[in-house]
Amino acid sequence: MIKNMLLLYGIAVLATVAVAEYRGWSLNRVDEVLNVPKSVRDNPGSYRSVYGFYHHYTGGK
Amino acid sequence: MSGGPAPGGTPQVKSLNCPKCGATLTLRSFTNAVTIVCSSCHSILDAQDPRLRILQTFKAATDEDPPLIPLGARGTIRGTVYEVVGFQRRTIHVDGMPYSWHEYVLFNPFKGFRYLTEYNGHWNDISILRSVPIWSPGASSLNYLGETYQHFQTAQASTSFVLGEFPWQVRVGETAEVSDYVSPPRVISAERTGKEITWSMGEYMAGRDLWKAFKLSGDPPVPIGVYENQPSPMSAAVKNVWWMAAAGLVLLVVLMMVFFSTARDEQVFSQSYEFNTNVKTEASFVTDTFELKGHTSDVELTTTSQLDNKWIYLNYALINQDTGHAYDFGREVSYYHGYDEDGFWSEGSQTDSVTIPSVPPGNYYLRVEPESDFYRGTIYYTITLRRDVPQASFFGLGALALLIPAALVTWRSMNFEHLRWAESDYGSSDNDSDDSEDDDDPQRPVQLGIADDGDER
Repeated sequence: MIKNMLLLYGIAVLATVAVAEYRGWSLNRVDEVLNVPKSVRDNPGSYRSVYGFYHHYTGGK
Repeated sequence: MSGGPAPGGTPQVKSLNCPKCGATLTLRSFTNAVTIVCSSCHSILDAQDPRLRILQTFKAATDEDPPLIPLGARGTIRGTVYEVVGFQRRTIHVDGMPYSWHEYVLFNPFKGFRYLTEYNGHWNDISILRSVPIWSPGASSLNYLGETYQHFQTAQASTSFVLGEFPWQVRVGETAEVSDYVSPPRVISAERTGKEITWSMGEYMAGRDLWKAFKLSGDPPVPIGVYENQPSPMSAAVKNVWWMAAAGLVLLVVLMMVFFSTARDEQVFSQSYEFNTNVKTEASFVTDTFELKGHTSDVELTTTSQLDNKWIYLNYALINQDTGHAYDFGREVSYYHGYDEDGFWSEGSQTDSVTIPSVPPGNYYLRVEPESDFYRGTIYYTITLRRDVPQASFFGLGALALLIPAALVTWRSMNFEHLRWAESDYGSSDNDSDDSEDDDDPQRPVQLGIADDGDER
């Protein structure tokens, strides 16, 4: 019983790793935005990233 | 009155009367019994004497300690029918606290005597050893038939209650030094009375198996705690789970080799740019279109800049030209260094990489919006994109996940062994130093020795 459960668990782990690798999963979080207008190519300033409003300076010590 | 063995080795009985109170005595083991105890007046009688000479009388309530398996009950153990003919309670004192266990004397006219012990729901099937183990006094282990047994405990055991028949001169109050040596599921007990040592071997039994063998109603008492020779439910699993973990790790390495050798890992875009921080104009721009081929997989974006005590932040959007689906993220590249009272210091890096997960194939472009402090001159940087880059992180996580069950099972097994040995003579000092804890402990394993110099089986 335990052996079968461990076997299933091991298969699940390997399958998950394989799928993650094949599909290119990542531990990074990236925001996705749908339907970005094609006009962005002509006017890049019309698109603002969700990160664009933060103050980004982290500076040296 | 009837006597003698019956065909097939089925025990028979013989009736007598107690010379003290006149109560009927049932003699089940015939001439094999050395003493018999009257259950009415608790006189211990000489069963070898035709007049049943009284050897000892002890005070006890008739129902003081009723056997869980009643006298006269018959059951099949290892293919032989045995009858319960005797019952005794034995006690050891540890730190002034009494710990008692029960012993049952079983009899078959052809096989002789056999014994069962019970403590806190833990049962052992006991037989007298035919040969003496390889052993020396005070040794921490002994060897019997090639198997090593570790010393567990030595204590003085006294008989505190008896019922039925015994193949030895039983007395309430008699004492013996009992030493137990364990190799789960077996235990070897050395019982020393004077210069004589009786060796016996016990094998752990499940109470439910005995209930089934003796056809007893109800359920056996639930075992409490871990007993000295109780087999660990994890001991076999530990080996299996580590073998399975090792097999899983091998497969994981094979999988990693396959993915690392077959991954496209293709550079699809690389371009250098400059960002003039002295000019306050719209800094955002878009790159040329590039194609991401193959199946849905990751994209690794690397930003490199020869920064020197500067920083640059880049708002990125990887946009699918056809669907308008964008992946938004921001990355900072900063590198600072200098000297202080501790010497040279540096922080940050001139290179930054990020993986964008699960990007479908298609035609894409990047929208890039650089930021930095004003009037810090021109910052040069390079953006590189690679498609279908193998990630080691998931293989690392997979290895950890495969090791978790093995670690858990090992921990449980070690915990089981810790509980087993905590109450031995080699228990942790915590237990030794905390008398009150010891005193309240109902789970202390006790010796299994049989006070018998009688039949070998």
